[in-house]
Amino acid sequence: MALKERNNQAFGFLYDNYAGALYSIIRQIITNNDELAGDVLQEVFINIWRKIETYDQTKGRLFTWMLNIARNASIDTLRSKSYQNSQKNQELPDNVYKGVANQTTQLNIDNIGLKKVLEKLKPEHRVLVELAYFKGFTHEEIAEMMAIPLGTVKTRIRNALLQLREYLK
Amino acid sequence: MNLQDYIASGIIESYVMGLASESERAEFEQMCAEYPALVAERRKFEESLEHYAAGHPVQPPSEVKVKVLKIITMENSKSSKNEKSSGNVGWMRFVAAASVIIVIVMAAMYYHVSEQNRTIIEQNKDLSSTNDRLKERLDTTQSTLDRIVQEQSVVSDPNALVVNMVGTTVAPRSSANIYWDSANTSVYLVVKNMPKLPSDKQYQLWALIDGKPKDLGVFDATDEKVILKMKNTQKAQAFAITIENKGGSPSPDLKKLQSMGKTMVTQ
Repeated sequence: MALKERNNQAFGFLYDNYAGALYSIIRQIITNNDELAGDVLQEVFINIWRKIETYDQTKGRLFTWMLNIARNASIDTLRSKSYQNSQKNQELPDNVYKGVANQTTQLNIDNIGLKKVLEKLKPEHRVLVELAYFKGFTHEEIAEMMAIPLGTVKTRIRNALLQLREYLK
Repeated sequence: MNLQDYIASGIIESYVMGLASESERAEFEQMCAEYPALVAERRKFEESLEHYAAGHPVQPPSEVKVKVLKIITMENSKSSKNEKSSGNVGWMRFVAAASVIIVIVMAAMYYHVSEQNRTIIEQNKDLSSTNDRLKERLDTTQSTLDRIVQEQSVVSDPNALVVNMVGTTVAPRSSANIYWDSANTSVYLVVKNMPKLPSDKQYQLWALIDGKPKDLGVFDATDEKVILKMKNTQKAQAFAITIENKGGSPSPDLKKLQSMGKTMVTQ
C-alpha cells in the first residue's frame, strides 16, 4: 500500500532527525549500558509512533514531547527491578546520595549533551538537577535525601534551570 | 500574580523539562491559555533546548532504526488486517494516524529548512558586515589616495605658484607653503611648522590685495603635512597668516601676524 510506504518513510525521516538528540538524553540517564540505552531508544520511537495522536501542540513543541518521552522511559528503566539487580553486582552504595555522587564523577568522563552545560552550575545546584532531571527523584524525595527543606529544593532547582537556560543560549 | 515575575520564577523551564508538579502543570497550562506572551516565552526556551540538543547528538547504534521500522511495519499490517474486520472505523483511524505523522514530518522538515535558513541568514549577516568593513576601508583608502593625487597635481602643476611663508618677529619659526594656482585661482596650504594654539584659537590665512586683506579660511597647527584646500582668490600680492579666535575673524589682527609671504607676480 502506497500510503503505508510513505508512512514508514515519514517515520524514517523523523527518526533520522531526532534519534541523535534523543539518544543523547537516554545516554545521559543510562550512563553505563550502551546496549540497554539502544533498547530504550527503540522503545521510545515505538512509543512515539503509538502515541502520536495524543501529542497536543498547544502544550509544547514536538521535540519537547519526544524529549520527555525519552527521559521518562530512561528513568523508568533506571528504576526497574532488572536494572537495579544488574547494578547490584557492580556497586553497593551506602546510600542513594553517595551512589549518585559516584556516578557524577563517572559522568564527567563522558561529558555529553546537557550534562556539559550542567558542569557550569554551582555544585549544590548541579546535584539537585542531577537528582531531579537525570535520576527522576521528586522534590520531596530529594528534600528527604539531602535533609534540606522542600521549599529550598524547589527554589534551588528553579534557579538552576534559569541559569541553565542562559547557558543554552 | 505579575506575569513577568511568573516568567522569571523558572516555571517555564520546570514545565518544559518535566520537573513541574501536577498542580504547577495545570496552573501553567491555564496561564498559557490566557497569556500569549507566556506561550512565546515557553516556545523560546523550547527552541533553545531543541537547538542545543540537535547540536549535541550522540550517534545511536545503527540497528535500532532497522528494528523500529520493522516493528512499525508489522503494526501497520496488523492494523490493515483489523481494518477488514472493523470496516471503515479502523481504516479512518489509520488514515488519521498517517496524516498526523505527515504533519509532524512536515513540521520537522520545516524546522530543518528554517534551521538551515537561519544559518544562511547568519552567514549572510557576517558577510555583509565584513563587506561593510571592507567598503569602509576602501573609502578611507580612496580618500587618502585622492588627497595624494591632488597634492601631487598641485605640487607639480606648472601654473602653481609656490609661496614660501616665513616667520615674523612675533613667530620666527612659523613656516608654511602656499600653492596658488593662478589659472584656476585655487589656493592650497601645507603646514610645515606652526606652533600649537589654545583650543579656542585658530590660524587664519589672508590674501593681501591692494593692501586689503581677504579671508581665505582657517586651519589648525595639527593639520600638519597635509595639503589644505583654502578659499580661492584671483588676486594676491601677498599672503599672511594670523592667529584669530576659533572660526576666524572678518579682519586680521595684524599684531599677531605669524607668517607672511609675497607673491612674485604682481597682478
